[in-house]
Order: sequence, then structure tokens, then C-alpha cells
Amino acid sequence: MTHDAVLVFSKTWGAVYLLVVFLAAVLWTYWPSRRRIYDDAAQSPLDGREDQPWQ
Amino acid sequence: MLRRVPLEDTAILCALCLVLLGGLAILGWGVLVPYVLHGWLIALAAGWGILWMVNRLADAPAQVPQAYSDKVIRFGVVAALIWGIIGFAVGDILAWQLAIPALNGDMAWTNFGRLRPVHTSGVIFGFGGNALIATSFYVVQRTSRARLASETLPWLVFWGYNLFLVLAASGYPLGITQSKEYAEPEWYADLLLLVVWLGYLALYLKTLARRAEPHIYVANWYYLAFIVVIAMLHTVNNLSVPVSIAYPKSYSLFAGTQDAMTQWWYGHNAVGFLLTAGFLGMLYYFLPKAVNRPVYSYRMSIVGFWGITFLYLWAGSHHLHYTALPDWVQYLGMTMSIILLVPSWASVFNGILTINGAWDKVRTDPAVRFMMVAVLFYGLATFEGSFMAIRPVNSLSHYTDWTVGHVHAGALGWVAFVTFGAMYKMVPWVWQREGVYSLKLEAWHFWLALSGTLIYVGAMWNSGITQSLMWQTYDADGAFLYSFLDSVVEMHPYYAARAVGGLLYLIGGCIGAYNIWMTVSGPRKTKTLQVGPIPRQPAE
Repeated sequence: MTHDAVLVFSKTWGAVYLLVVFLAAVLWTYWPSRRRIYDDAAQSPLDGREDQPWQ
Repeated sequence: MLRRVPLEDTAILCALCLVLLGGLAILGWGVLVPYVLHGWLIALAAGWGILWMVNRLADAPAQVPQAYSDKVIRFGVVAALIWGIIGFAVGDILAWQLAIPALNGDMAWTNFGRLRPVHTSGVIFGFGGNALIATSFYVVQRTSRARLASETLPWLVFWGYNLFLVLAASGYPLGITQSKEYAEPEWYADLLLLVVWLGYLALYLKTLARRAEPHIYVANWYYLAFIVVIAMLHTVNNLSVPVSIAYPKSYSLFAGTQDAMTQWWYGHNAVGFLLTAGFLGMLYYFLPKAVNRPVYSYRMSIVGFWGITFLYLWAGSHHLHYTALPDWVQYLGMTMSIILLVPSWASVFNGILTINGAWDKVRTDPAVRFMMVAVLFYGLATFEGSFMAIRPVNSLSHYTDWTVGHVHAGALGWVAFVTFGAMYKMVPWVWQREGVYSLKLEAWHFWLALSGTLIYVGAMWNSGITQSLMWQTYDADGAFLYSFLDSVVEMHPYYAARAVGGLLYLIGGCIGAYNIWMTVSGPRKTKTLQVGPIPRQPAE
């Protein structure tokens, strides 16, 4: 495996890999049915329940 | 004594025994006096830890209260403030020495190369690191609604980390350094930090595993990225071969360009994951709490998280533009640094829009003001950083004071501002006080820190641009128009201004420490609504 071969591999598949990871993260986060999880999570520090441990 | 010893305590005892043996080997075989003293420090600390553990195990098992474990957080706050004052003070002494060189008193240990790492390690690892450890313990417990998952590990982390800092800061003036920027401590201190950091990671993961809700609040994602990536960076960049147990000296496992690339992969990700990801975790918890509003876009904070973690790891090579590093690696670093602006500014807008609707708090609550200005400086520093990573811009800015100004816009304006904002909120909470001792002093701290930062950064922009232009001015024959010394003489007014700016910042920090001291020594909250560890109810 030469330096140039590694270079070409990283320039092509590296870019594809980053794009796929980005798209996966965006789809996972913005998928409409998951909205509730994140809305609840955003409120969780403010809902006053964190005053004491739960167990 | 023969009762069942938990696996965790066995592991901690084994680690402490190994550290003790290391310390004994150093103090026994060591030749240089400072190195032998470090051996004594390590051995005494580990021996004290072993005695403490054995005592605990000999006693009947203590009832673990159903309350948050806040004592170690208080220790962390105090340690952060002490290191902060030391770090700011040494930094300002260096600034005055640069303006008036005779101030170094012609002593070897006050040499810039020896004192500078005391400043950088003091502020980044002493102040920043202790603040991150303390706030991460606070945030992970509250957002998981669970007590820290161990009674011993938090103390191992706190004391072990601060022992590492003492070894680092006392070694530099005496000449113990491996000369890697922001990774100066030698191999034995690095091994100690590795043990401590693995304990920190285990503790954090175990506490998260006890959480009440299935979802992990986003601040923990950032803190965890900070812990995991620092473990990785620290291990790889410090791979080295000690010359012998008798001397602190070691040689890097990498040579030449590889060594430089590894160092700046480390160096830039220390910025990305200690000074950015960790403090974003702090921001995403303490800002919503302070303004009593949820994060503006929680989903954006998650996409921003993946953006920052995936892109930062590639950006380090922008520190090595126009060097022996292959061109494509330089362009890769430059490109990733530019793309990095997107998730960085997503966090900036998320922070500002979280405050939107509570702008009155910026006026009435200096802690919120601290955090708002921190977000603005974060936006400024990340834009500037992406800009400076562009190769032609870097040919202007590199090796000049512009870099120094950029770092301090980030460190003074973003990191320390968000830390002080969070501390002014957290201190009354963990000590059960009504509020901060004096809002007036808090405001004084804010304005001193802000003017100090602006003077500092403004002076460095001017001196940096002046330097780079003087170094690149040629006469008609293509010869340099100015000698290097000409540019040094030209720097004097800017260096004096910087020292004044740093002094204002230091005075602000002292006022902050005094204010927090008075808050802590003041009266407790009259009626507690079961906040924190006061109601020591036995577990059911």
C-alpha cells in the first residue's frame, strides 16, 4: 500500500464517510417521531425534579 | 477486615500501590533533587491514599445517604479558584517581563521558557480542568438524578488530578519538561494522570448508568466527549521512552514531522475538547438554569455535538502550515477548520437564542451577563480561528502576537467567562446559600474582566499585524526593510497595554475569589427545600 493509494482512499471514501455520518446524525435527530424525546429532554433541567436523587 | 472487599475498592487499592511503588522507585533511584522531591510527593500522596482506603475498609460499611455527593464539588471550586489566581498572576508577571525584560531578575527559573508553562498549565489544566471536573460532577448528578456512583473515586480523581498539577507546575521552573506545548509534564507525571483519568471516565460512566431517564441530557454528551478524547490525546501524544528511572528525561516515540503532527493533533484537540466541548457542556446546563428557559434548539445542540466531535479531530494540522508536513494534510486541516465554523456558530446562536426572552436577566444578573459575553467571545474566537487556519492568512498571522491574541480571546473571553458565570450560580447551590454575597462585586468582576480582555486582545491584534507587516516589508532590491530588533522595539507600547489588561483581569479574578469566599463563609439558606445533602435520610 503506497502513500498515494492511502491518499486517494482517504480523499474519496473519507469524504463519503463524513457525509454519511453527518446525514445519519441529522436524520436520527430530526426524525419527526423522535421530537418528543428532545422536547422533554430540553425541559428536564427546569422541571424541578432534580432536587433529589431518584433512588 | 476479612469482609468482602468490593471489586472497585480492590482496583483502586491496586492502582494506589502501583503509584506508591513508582514514587518509591523515583525517590530511591532518582539523581536530580527536584525529581527525587517529586518521588517523595507521589509516594506520600499514594501512601496517604492507601491508609485512607484501608481505614475505610476496616470500619463498618458507611450508609450511603440518598443525597447528591457535593463535598468533592466544593473542593473542586476552591482548587479551580486557587489555580486560577496563580495562573492569572504568573501570566501577568510574564506580560510585564515582556514589556520590561529586566524584571526577570536574571534568574534561571524566571526565564520565559520555564515560567510560561506554569501560566498555561495553571490556567488551562488548573483553573479550567478543576472547574470542568467540579461542574461535570454537579451536572451529571442533577441531570441523571443520581448520586455519584462511588464514594472513593471522586476523591481519587480530585486529589490525583491536583497532585499531577503540583508535579507539573513545580517541575517547570526547575527545568523538568518534555518541551511539548501544553503537554510539558514528563513521563512519570503523565502516567499518574492516565490512572486518574481512567478513574474519572469509569466514575462518569457508572454515574450515567444510574440515571433516572433513558435519555442522557446533552451537557453530559459534551462532558463525556471531553473525558474520552483527553484520555486518547494524552496517551498517544505522550508515548515516549524514558532514558532511565534515575532521570525525568524521556524521548518521544515519534520523530520529526510525525512528532510535530502528533503534537498538534493533541494541541488543537486539547482546545477542541477541553476548552470547547467541556465548556459547552457547562454552558448547555448552567445557561438554561440561569435564565430559566430550555435550550433554544435541543436538536441543534445534538447535531452541533456530532459536528464538533467529528470535525475538530482533523483540524490540528493548521498549526503546521508551510512546514515539512505534506501539503494535502495542510489543506485537509485548513478545510476542516473552515467547516468547523458551522457547528461552532450553531452553538453560538443556540446560546444567544436561549437567552432570548430573558434579556432583563442580562441587565440584572451578572452571572447571565458573564455567560452571554462568553457566547459572544466563543463566536468571535471560532470565526477568527477558522479565518486564521486559511493558509495565506496564516502566512500573515503565524509566529506573530495575533495568535496570542486569538488564544486569549478564547481563553479569557469564552472559557473563563463561562466558568465564572457557572460558578456564581453553582457556589450558592452546592453550599446552600441564598445567593452570591454581593451582586455589586460580581458586576465589578465582570466589567474588570471584560475591559481587561478587550485591552489584551486589542493590543495583540495591533502588535501581531505590525509584526507580520514589518517582517514582510522589502525594499526595492528585495532585502528586508526592518531588522527583527526593529519589530521588537515597536512592540513595547502593545506589550505594556497587554500587561495592564492582564492586571485588570487578575484584579477581577481576585474580587471574584473574595466574593465566593464571602458567599461560602456567610449564613446558610434559612429554609431548605431538600436541596443537596443536608437532609441525610438513610437509604430505604
